[in-house]
Amino acid sequence: MRELPRSLRFYVAASTFYAALVFFAVQYIYTIQLAESGLIVARRDTGDVLASIQLVSFVVWLGISLIAAVFLHRLASALAGARSAEEQKQQELGSIFGLSAALAGPLDLEEIGRQFLAAVRNALDPSVTVVLIVYDDVIEAFRTVAAEGPEVERLRGQNYSAAGLAASIRTRVIDHRQPFLLPDTAANAGTWTKLAQEMPQIASARSFAALPLVSRDRLVGALLLISDRAGTLIADRVQMPMIMGQYVAGSIHSALSVSEAEARAEREALVNRVSQRARASLDPDEILRGTVDSLGRVLGVSRAIVASGESEDDLNVYYEWDAPGVTPVGRGARSIPVAQFAARLGRTVIVTDIREDRRFTEPAADDLRQRGVVAVAATPIRVGGQLKGALALSQIDRPREWSANDVRLIEAVAHELRVALTSAEAFEQQRRAVAELERLNRAKSDFVSIVSHEFRTPLTGIQGFSEMMTNEDLTLAEMREYAGDINKDAQRLNRMINEMLDLDKMESGRMQLHREPVDLNALASESADRVRPNAPGHPVTLRLDPVLGTIMGDRDKLTQVLANLLNNAVKYSPNGGEIIISTRVEGSAAHLVVRDHGMGIPKEALQTIFERYGRVESGATRHIQGTGLGLPIVRQIVQLHGGTVWAESTVGEGSVFHVNLPLAAHPEQLGDRGDIAPATRS
Amino acid sequence: MSKVVFCEDDPMIRKLVQAALRATTHEVHFAENGAEGLALIEQVRPDVVFSDVLMPQMDGFAMADAVRAKPELAHIPIVFMSASVQREQIEECFRHGAAGHLAKPFTMTELRARVAQFAKS
Repeated sequence: MRELPRSLRFYVAASTFYAALVFFAVQYIYTIQLAESGLIVARRDTGDVLASIQLVSFVVWLGISLIAAVFLHRLASALAGARSAEEQKQQELGSIFGLSAALAGPLDLEEIGRQFLAAVRNALDPSVTVVLIVYDDVIEAFRTVAAEGPEVERLRGQNYSAAGLAASIRTRVIDHRQPFLLPDTAANAGTWTKLAQEMPQIASARSFAALPLVSRDRLVGALLLISDRAGTLIADRVQMPMIMGQYVAGSIHSALSVSEAEARAEREALVNRVSQRARASLDPDEILRGTVDSLGRVLGVSRAIVASGESEDDLNVYYEWDAPGVTPVGRGARSIPVAQFAARLGRTVIVTDIREDRRFTEPAADDLRQRGVVAVAATPIRVGGQLKGALALSQIDRPREWSANDVRLIEAVAHELRVALTSAEAFEQQRRAVAELERLNRAKSDFVSIVSHEFRTPLTGIQGFSEMMTNEDLTLAEMREYAGDINKDAQRLNRMINEMLDLDKMESGRMQLHREPVDLNALASESADRVRPNAPGHPVTLRLDPVLGTIMGDRDKLTQVLANLLNNAVKYSPNGGEIIISTRVEGSAAHLVVRDHGMGIPKEALQTIFERYGRVESGATRHIQGTGLGLPIVRQIVQLHGGTVWAESTVGEGSVFHVNLPLAAHPEQLGDRGDIAPATRS
Repeated sequence: MSKVVFCEDDPMIRKLVQAALRATTHEVHFAENGAEGLALIEQVRPDVVFSDVLMPQMDGFAMADAVRAKPELAHIPIVFMSASVQREQIEECFRHGAAGHLAKPFTMTELRARVAQFAKS
């Protein structure tokens, strides 16, 4: 009776009370009736009979009541049972419909996972941790999309390559697409020990299930169920998740197709963008900024590097993109062993986990490990068979299975960067050419201002003296003198103009040399004699090789060479100082040296001083007059003679100008000096 | 009689100026560069200095700066003579405290007028 519900107990009590009430009422009525009818005579006997009859009927009544009560109880329980089964069915159906309704909209994978796991957990024991893994085409591995339950921390964010899943799960779930169930892992210790070794994340489970998610014949993922209570995950209990899984698999399939299509489109767009940029811009930095950054983002790597270099050891970081929070390695860094390895092999190299890769044991790889780099993919960039650089992508803090798609993408981008680096070279050349043109243009304007300045000085004299001759009363002697001064300044102007014209002639190849046997030593002495009166502070010393020999040259032009060099030596040593002219034989050439002890020439200007308008302009030389044509003329004349001219200098100590002129082939035919035997040189 | 110092490295121009100012009453002194000019200015304390800009050893600007740095000379006006026609080069003269600028080639009338402008009669 204790198990009966309260209502039933009340019912039984009420019916018993009723039966007793009826019994006593009947007995009373019978007793009165019998007394009135006179049957009371035999009251004692009949009373006893009646009493016994009434007692029996009371017991029978009570029995019937009890039977009815039990029957009613059975009926009520049956009804209640039927109603709860109906309700559960309704609830299950409701959750499935709810789930499928919830997944009907265009949801992303994470949202699907969240809804799915919420529904699954609802149908299972709360101790069960549920994990949804889906097959990700981009990383060619199972990726954990969502996880719910007590063990979630250990399982969230895990990726399982085909090899990363335990073999038993792989065979049953992936290959055969059947649920894998271990209701009590202790009972299947053999299977479980092996599985737990392969997947340490779930080693603590006492009950485990892996359910495949299949849509349109494609395995889209799996549902992992893990519980720390043995016997929780039996076939009956996982029925619901299985049915839900059938509904969800379709949605996952669609979501995956969409994201795969997006990824593919993104890859193609990236490659297009790279090639467009490579064609649209010649600035290598601009090309790299757009493409390498996108590549890094699309692949989800931590860092993307473009190294430049013409050899494996020369490779150094030229450009890098770093994911937010990743410390840059810095331009010029050389510890990029995987890129170097790829350059050595001439093909793409992928490293899943450098900590376990035997190919990278050298110290350079330690640098990578210290930087936390775990996975790397690198490919060389070659132009016409020549190494130009490398593209390297690295993943920090976790291993990464580089997929065939990743590699294809990296190689495609590297190929486009090849174009970029080639055009970068062309860009660099063009930039240099433009810079050179700009320099020449600047030199030309400088020249114009120098020339106009230089021309104005003699013009001042010509104008001034002629003005005085015109306007003032002068003596004849004064007239003559001023006319002479005008003439000198006019000659000076004329010389300047001739220099310019000469140089133009020589540069355009219109200058003819009047060659004759020339004694360079004699020329040097004459030039020294000519410069001495104008340079009282500059002792000019000659150190001539007496057996120098003869050269075939234009006497006037060579005199000009010496005059220009000597004038420069005087001009650019304003504080005086010895000027030394020396000659000597050097092989088949005569070597002439003019040394001064003046201000010297900065190293970077040693080349440009021989170029037209290439005069060094500085505070120190500003006051030194000159058209900037002296040395260009020297170089032109020397080159016309088949010789060379160069300068050495130390700023503040002086300059040395060297002229090498080829000696005449058969000196003995050229005059009396040819047969003199070599003697001591000074 | 006022005193004028001329700093000019070109001998022809020195000669020209000397000839042009011979007829005036001014006492004219010549220097071949800035260093000489500076010594001369200290020595003769002229009323005005005319100076070329580009000269060996010490150029006109350096000389002007040195003159400005000496309180007893700082008041002396300096007129620069240069062959520059570019505005910024002429402006640089005034940045160095020039009292005027005489562009080469100058006429004798111009020269005498400028000297008269600054010289005490």
